[in-house]
Parts: sequence; structure tokens; C-alpha cells
Amino acid sequence: GAADNRGQAKTIGDLVAYKNVNDLPPPRDLMIQVDQRNEAILLPIYGTMVPFHVATVKSVSSQQDGNRSCYIRIIFNVPGTPFSPHDSNTLKFQGSIYLKEVSFRSKDSRHISEVVQQIKTLRRQVTSRESERAERAT
Amino acid sequence: MQNPGQLKIYSGGILWKKQGGGKAVEVDKADIAGVTWTKVPRTNQLGVRSKDGLYYKFTGFRDPDVASLTNFFQNNCGITPEEKQLSVSGRNWGEVDLNGNMLTFLVGQKQAFEVSLADVSQTQMQGKNDVILEFHVDDTTGANEKDSLMEISFHIPNSNTQFVGDENHP
Repeated sequence: GAADNRGQAKTIGDLVAYKNVNDLPPPRDLMIQVDQRNEAILLPIYGTMVPFHVATVKSVSSQQDGNRSCYIRIIFNVPGTPFSPHDSNTLKFQGSIYLKEVSFRSKDSRHISEVVQQIKTLRRQVTSRESERAERAT
Repeated sequence: MQNPGQLKIYSGGILWKKQGGGKAVEVDKADIAGVTWTKVPRTNQLGVRSKDGLYYKFTGFRDPDVASLTNFFQNNCGITPEEKQLSVSGRNWGEVDLNGNMLTFLVGQKQAFEVSLADVSQTQMQGKNDVILEFHVDDTTGANEKDSLMEISFHIPNSNTQFVGDENHP
């Protein structure tokens, strides 16, 4: 959906990470991946890589514990929180249940800090692009 | 990848052996409760649900394998595999479906992901609208994953009518 040039503001509901299963990156290890081209993060959940568009992400953080383990927490946008970009969609998808948060433990803290940086950067890019688009449309 | 090994599907059921020995999975034909096919990136995934509530996933089937194994399951086990479609749109809102001890998150009628409630160590309500599931993280089990799911939470808006009055489930 990145090359879409409608002169209209897109709501988050129009952002689609992938159209087809085979558009996903080739399977690698079961670890969190960031797909810059498709603006998606891929999370290993029960042996499957599950994509989420970066625009659904509200925040991401990581934490290191003394035991060489590392944790990453991803919080998603849900309706009802202040400044939630979902507001225009809340009515459209009334009755839906939202994935709000996921936490993973990782064996590789370098990989986790990379992922956190990548998600933050990508999120910033997409947010500023979408708000520019919204401004142009008004 | 995940956990390489050899899978044997024969008239008696299915048998999987881990490469290099060790872990094995065996499901007798009589214990198979259901079989599913899912298209995953570049390959196909076979899901086998056993009558005791366990659920196994095997990945790496070519399209012709799917056709011939579908026939095999039908003719030898009297089981017609179901086709499950994956949602790849990247949305975080949809529906939650509970079936046995599997919780499936569906986006646009397609499966985004599923988790086993058997692995949930604790559930918690947070506020009026959020449900948190905490998972056992067991380093000794199957998948060689680098990043392991520990916790997941769902937000159920007041406008949702599916789970009203059921405090035990999200």
C-alpha cells in the first residue's frame, strides 16, 4: 500500500501490510523481523510469523535483565486511548477485539535493540508521511 | 528453521522424528481429531489435532504433497482436511474464537494467529476491558525460537458483545 497516491488521507484501516501470503519475506529463524519495504513487523507466534503493520504500533520498548535475557514489549493502538489514530475507525470496526500488547523474551539482546530501533524509525517515517498526506488532503 | 525432522504419514497414523534422534511425535490414526492445511510463505503447513487436545504443526509441504496427502487422509483415515487461510493484512483488530484449548485471533474471517490455552500460566483482567494471557516459557520444548512469546493482551471494547458476562474468557 506504500505506493498509493490517492489525494486523500488514509486511515489506519486502509493500511495493509501484505496482500498475499507469498508476499511475506522468506521464512527465517523464529525471531522478530522488521520488513521495511512493506512497513511491517513480523512476530513469531506459535511457529508462524505473524505480520502487523507498523501503523498499528503505539510504542515499543526493551528491557535487559541480569540473566542474559532480554525482553521486548510492543503496545498496539486500541480505541479509547487519548490521541488514538483509531478514532475514525472505531465506528467502522465496532465490536472488534484488539490485540493490545505482546511481550517476548529473547536470547539475543543485540537483535532486540536493533528491532526496537528499526520499529521506532519505521513508525516515525510512516506517521509523518501519513500526517503530511492528511494535511495535503485538507 | 524450526525443528527439522522426518515425518511419516502411514496407514496407522503419523510419526515424526527429530533429525539426529531425540524427540518424536506419534499420533495414532484413531487419535486424530482433525487435520488442517494452511498456506504459509513459500510452503504449506499441516496441522494435526489429537483427541487429547494436543496440536502439532508440520511445515514444508509442496502443493502436490497437499493434494496427495489430502486424498490419503480421506481414504485411509476418513478425515477431510480443512483449509485454513492466514490473514496477512497486518491489522490488530478482529475476532477471538475459542475452540477446545486453542484461541484463534481472526482478522477478516482469516486466521492471524493462534495460541494454545494449555500453555497459559495465568490470565488477568486489567481494568474493565483488557485481558492478559501469560505463557509458560519452557526452554526445553520443541521450537528453536530465538524470541519466545511471554505475554499477550487483548482489548475488548464495551461495544463488543461476544464475551459479555463471561469472566473466565477474553
